[in-house]
Amino acid sequence: MDFEALWLTLRLAAGTTAILLVAGLPLAWWIASGRGAGRAVVQALVALPLVLPPTVVGFYLLVMLGPLTVPGRLLIRLFGHSLAFSFSGLLVGSVIYSLPFAVQPLVAGFGSVDRGYTEAAAGLGASPWRTFRTVVMPLTRGSLLTSAVLAFTHTVGEFGVVLMLGGNIPGATQTLSISLYDQVQDFNYAAANRTALALVIISLAALIVIYSRRGSGLGRGELV
Amino acid sequence: MRHRQGALVFDATFELAEPWTVLFGPSGSGKTTVLRAIAGLMRPAAGQIVLGCDTPRVLFDRAKGICMPAHRRGVRLAAQVATLFPNMTVRENIAYGVPGDATEVVEETLQRFHLDRLSEVMPWKLSGGERQRAAVARAVASAITLKDSGLLLLDEPFAGLDLRLRDDLLGDLRSWLASTHTPVLSVTHDVGEAFQLGAEVIKFDDGRVLRQGPVEAVLAEERERLLDQLSRKDVQGEFKPL
Repeated sequence: MDFEALWLTLRLAAGTTAILLVAGLPLAWWIASGRGAGRAVVQALVALPLVLPPTVVGFYLLVMLGPLTVPGRLLIRLFGHSLAFSFSGLLVGSVIYSLPFAVQPLVAGFGSVDRGYTEAAAGLGASPWRTFRTVVMPLTRGSLLTSAVLAFTHTVGEFGVVLMLGGNIPGATQTLSISLYDQVQDFNYAAANRTALALVIISLAALIVIYSRRGSGLGRGELV
Repeated sequence: MRHRQGALVFDATFELAEPWTVLFGPSGSGKTTVLRAIAGLMRPAAGQIVLGCDTPRVLFDRAKGICMPAHRRGVRLAAQVATLFPNMTVRENIAYGVPGDATEVVEETLQRFHLDRLSEVMPWKLSGGERQRAAVARAVASAITLKDSGLLLLDEPFAGLDLRLRDDLLGDLRSWLASTHTPVLSVTHDVGEAFQLGAEVIKFDDGRVLRQGPVEAVLAEERERLLDQLSRKDVQGEFKPL
């Protein structure tokens, strides 16, 4: 079992999930709370990683983070080195690649909140932020959990983007899925079996968290 | 105030002269739209909404591009459909629009609306009438604690209540709101309720203000029609005691 790869994978998944929850909440709320061409374009961009081959996303991210583009040059100036083939670069790639898995459950959750609740809060003098914090968020805790679990597990299982953007550097960018690939290439099936089993256990445990919560009944007035 | 809703144009120009004013009109005449526009839940296509006499506050002015956000208007609304927050108890719902230092208002509201025994109950366990009562109580509690002169908007507030409870609540609520100087604009299509509630009535139909004045003058025709219906033999026959 490659514990170094396991630790790096868990760090990557935790960091990606944290960033996605912070960035995904306002984005999902904005998408769910209106219509228009702008929102449709943003929604399509958010969902794009779902339909693109991971290697395509990885390739464009590799180019974007390199010295040939303006954002890449800015990031190199900011960090002192290119983000490609580094843990930070992997984090950026994972955030973009897992974005739909975090945002879409939130959009569905926010969309299921009856407009009457938010209007009732406004009619009682609550600001939009207070309404979001005290009414919308408690009613969509299930979606928040689903969003976090899906973002985490999807990052754990990433392969194409990680390989394109991070290469295969042990201790820096080699995640469990890359390590598994290496082990199979080396015909080390015993190690590959252990690595694959670890990935299965992590994913299964995450899904059990989601389904046991749904099966055990919802919290106070929770909608999803 | 003008609002375009499909082909319907509302043209509602009126002033609130009495502490409790009733907006009276048939279902679908646009009464709820007027309340929603005042509360800031929708934008009229034209017009102006001003609140207050001594120091008037412009809530909305299309020509000047003013549209104050709903939460800053000093207006409290109890909608026709009672939407209690499902993640809060009845007490928490009523306390939602009340400042933290005014807990006594929450207790008084619970008592006045006969909700004390239901205070820790979640909304899904309430009957329709209890939910309606709690929703009105929530708006009333919040309006009473407004520091500046605000406005309480009640949309068919007692539609789901039985007559006895409605009579009980109306009398108490009128005197309580009058003693706290809380102005009210309420909506109804019920002639009896209009007579019970308001000294001032705005008669509204087809998106337009038809007449405004004392209830006896404005709704005299409706009152006569209602009394006539009640005294007709065929109606009496329908309710003949067994």
